Amino acid sequence: MLRRLRYWIESARRSEALREEMELHLAERAAELQADGMTAECARAEARRRFGNVGLKQEESREIWITRFWSELGQDVRYGCRTMTANKAFCALAVLLLALGIGANTAIYSLMESILLRSLPVADPESLVVLNWHSRPPQKDSGQWVVHGLQGLFWPGTTGNLVSGIFPYPAFETLREENPVFSTLFGYFNGHNCNLAIRGQAMSAGTEYVTGEYFRGLEVSPAAGRLIDSEDDRAGAAAVAVISFATSQNRFGGPANAIGQPILVDNIPFTVIGVGPPEFFGVDPAEAPDLYLPLHTNLLVDGARAARMYPDGNFYWIEMMGRLRPGVSMAQAQAVLAPRFHQWVATTATTDGERAKLPALILNPGAAGLGSLRRKYSKPLYVLLMMAGLILAITCANIANLLLARAAARRREMAVRLSLGAGRFRVVRQLLTESLMLASLGGTLGVLFAIWGVRSLTFLLSNGRENFTLHAELNWNVLGVTAALSVICGLLFGLAPAIQSTGSDVMPALKNGRGGGPRRRGQHVLVVGQIAISFLILVAAGLFVRTLNKLHSVQLGYARENILLFSLNARQAGHRDPEIAIFYADLRKRFESIPGVSSATLSQSSIISAGRVGQAIRGAMKIGAVTIQGASVMAAGPRFLTTMQIPILAGREIDDRDQTGSRPVAVISERLARTYFGNENPVGRRITLPDEKRDLEIVGVSANLRYGGLKNEEESAMTVFVAISQFSPDRMTYALRVAGDPLTYVRSVHEIVREADSRIPVTNVVTQAAEIDRTISQEVTFAKLSTGFAVLALLIACVGLYGTVSYSVARQVGEIGIRMALGAQRGAVVWMVLRRVLLLAGVGLAISVPAALSAFQLVKSFLFETQPNDPGTLALAGVVLLSAAILAGYAPARRASRIDPLAALRHE
Amino acid sequence: MGRKAQKNDSLPGSLDMLILRTLSRRDLHGYGIVQYIQQSSDNELLVEEGSLYPALQRLELNGWIDGVWGVTSNNRRARIYKITAAGRKQLAVEVRKYAKLTLAIARVMGAE
Repeated sequence: MLRRLRYWIESARRSEALREEMELHLAERAAELQADGMTAECARAEARRRFGNVGLKQEESREIWITRFWSELGQDVRYGCRTMTANKAFCALAVLLLALGIGANTAIYSLMESILLRSLPVADPESLVVLNWHSRPPQKDSGQWVVHGLQGLFWPGTTGNLVSGIFPYPAFETLREENPVFSTLFGYFNGHNCNLAIRGQAMSAGTEYVTGEYFRGLEVSPAAGRLIDSEDDRAGAAAVAVISFATSQNRFGGPANAIGQPILVDNIPFTVIGVGPPEFFGVDPAEAPDLYLPLHTNLLVDGARAARMYPDGNFYWIEMMGRLRPGVSMAQAQAVLAPRFHQWVATTATTDGERAKLPALILNPGAAGLGSLRRKYSKPLYVLLMMAGLILAITCANIANLLLARAAARRREMAVRLSLGAGRFRVVRQLLTESLMLASLGGTLGVLFAIWGVRSLTFLLSNGRENFTLHAELNWNVLGVTAALSVICGLLFGLAPAIQSTGSDVMPALKNGRGGGPRRRGQHVLVVGQIAISFLILVAAGLFVRTLNKLHSVQLGYARENILLFSLNARQAGHRDPEIAIFYADLRKRFESIPGVSSATLSQSSIISAGRVGQAIRGAMKIGAVTIQGASVMAAGPRFLTTMQIPILAGREIDDRDQTGSRPVAVISERLARTYFGNENPVGRRITLPDEKRDLEIVGVSANLRYGGLKNEEESAMTVFVAISQFSPDRMTYALRVAGDPLTYVRSVHEIVREADSRIPVTNVVTQAAEIDRTISQEVTFAKLSTGFAVLALLIACVGLYGTVSYSVARQVGEIGIRMALGAQRGAVVWMVLRRVLLLAGVGLAISVPAALSAFQLVKSFLFETQPNDPGTLALAGVVLLSAAILAGYAPARRASRIDPLAALRHE
Repeated sequence: MGRKAQKNDSLPGSLDMLILRTLSRRDLHGYGIVQYIQQSSDNELLVEEGSLYPALQRLELNGWIDGVWGVTSNNRRARIYKITAAGRKQLAVEVRKYAKLTLAIARVMGAE
């Protein structure tokens, strides 16, 4: 090996020596032949003839020193570099296209990988399983269900079932006892945001309540101190807490400093006993709790409500994960646990209606944690990946096209090389090396593009939320996939033209002056394919942009601009009824006194997120004996309608007179009034709320407004505003109507809140416009990305079309010259070229339209008030595509019409 | 020279042995080796001249022969090859192999 290396280093000197040796050989042989009586010339020729191919033998000898592969590769690469610098435009284009295609794919694939495939950063994640159950929904049949109350989430499963991960606490205890399939079974529930006060400074902290087995089951070791164990998770145990690594750094300056420190969680004193490891984020990739508390400490934080949850077999709230014992499969575990759960849950059913649809236990793989992110993002990401895949497909087609055209242009070069004795394989390899060089350049650039892409995609998906925990980054697997993609692209699309250009007979190529050849069907097929795919992407972009426009044009019925929103939770900081209502009311007055604030109000949530955030008041409301269908309740404070600029049509809005003890009042929206009171004046009439059967007096009528999200169609304009002070509010969202940029008032807001109670953190500070846009961020993302993709696709397709047409024009110079010499008009020549362009585009469209019609049924759920076969969008996409095609074809057509017949003919 | 001589392709790999054998008699340059093999085989064996050089490179890389710059009989600079100790060992190996092979062939032919 060493010797080989030395030889390789000395290769230049050695090949010189070899050449000299061979020359000597030839000279001696010639001398001998001459001595035998040949002429000098004949002798030299005969010597050469006997020796064989000098160059080849030199190569073979060199091959002995270094493997020939590498030496030839070196040559190929050097030659490739030369041809690339000679064709800068071609190469830049090809590399750029590949980079964009590969980059987009890598970025989206990276995101998918981190959302859909990545494992929890704990020991042996493969042996973790999540416990879920599924059941028929309660609405069907009798409406009776063993689930009497719940705190947590459902999601739709297959075949119309409901699926959930929440269980009653007794179920957890039952399954935990003598479990033969799990080495540990642990429970947890999301405590959402708590008020975490450290050294007098309050922050809103994501909280996870965990059972004593949680950290043992996940096999996590602390960064400092110790983690929660079974001793800590008892009613009456010392209140201890584990904080996340990030929190320990931000608030204590390091994990070690945090141990033993007192903290306040919703104003309850806790002691920090440990800090989680840096990479640990709990079991749900969508959340990264700052705080882990023993399950039973919710008795301290939530009080009596929590105490009622523990013994109740019909209240569903705790989530569970288990770690399989070694050698036990998930199916075996399910076979053991499902009957046990069934037996237990049957005892909680009291009526036949409840027994008819008992929840059934199912186990799911837990290696990647809980699936909330997956459920939310997998479909949009698949759609994006599909688009990016299509982009890559047209990119590859385009590169193949460029390579084909170039191979055609280089036929003469290839023919010369072949006739000079180059091996066919050698020439193919040369071409392959060139396309691989293009591909790897494109791939490298693509990786850079992907890094940027992942960042911006994460930002887009995160809705601008600061605490978005999806830490997507490029990883080696993804890089591998990308590298493979670019190499395969290079190989695949280098091979075909390479074989084609070496396969033909050498002579015609040498004879043919213009480097033309037979008509290339392959190119036409590729162009048609590109046009078809571009059309698909154009239509997708059109649909998503249209959806976004529709969403933007939704009539809100309230003001969007010049409003600042933020949230407070005084209850978590220790405020209680009835003082809390006064506290909130006072704050409102103080906000209203900020210079520049024309009015301030408060409500249970912003209007756009109503029904999803905060406590909702649900159930049937009544007017007299008539049940109101489809109305929503909004608990709002004084001057709400004024601040939101909702017109008051009759009576008055809720104001400072409506206090905790005073007469309960309501303001109803116009449609509700029209529907249930007709033309009568509803002011002074009564409406009954479902909770506590409270009777409210209607004091005013507001204009209609859109309650809840923009896409909510049912939750329309029937709204009942109630006075928030007459309810028992927790979290409060304030809205300030201001002059100028709302965000400039944030500082004053913080000051006022700190003055009032420094224990209360201000959260969710956002302008109303941004809050609304946040609810349609997916549509915004789709519209932006698909527009970008569409422009890209159109560009690529046009380049492909341009290349193909230019090539065929170049091939037809002679023909066109003859036509013009015989009197063809310029217009006729232009039309002749454009006709071909239109034909290609037309065929592409003809293929694509039916494909589009069927494919877009898949994205129907992403559209809003837009049909997947929207004729306007289809027509627009077609027109855009055709005009782009004509544009791309016009330049070569014009060039064709400028051909000088004399010059063209002389060339022949 | 319109005569067709037998090319040395009946026994693949035997070129190495022939070269080694030649060089074990005397040090020679490339052309000299060709000449020697041709003459000593009574013109029966014609080395494909071009193939000689790759073979020489291979043998040298293996350390069986050693090439140094010298002067030929008619005073031209040339690489003169000599066999090394390892080369002699290799020659013995190849001769044994060759003997075995020819014996085997002879048996087959004799069994007819």
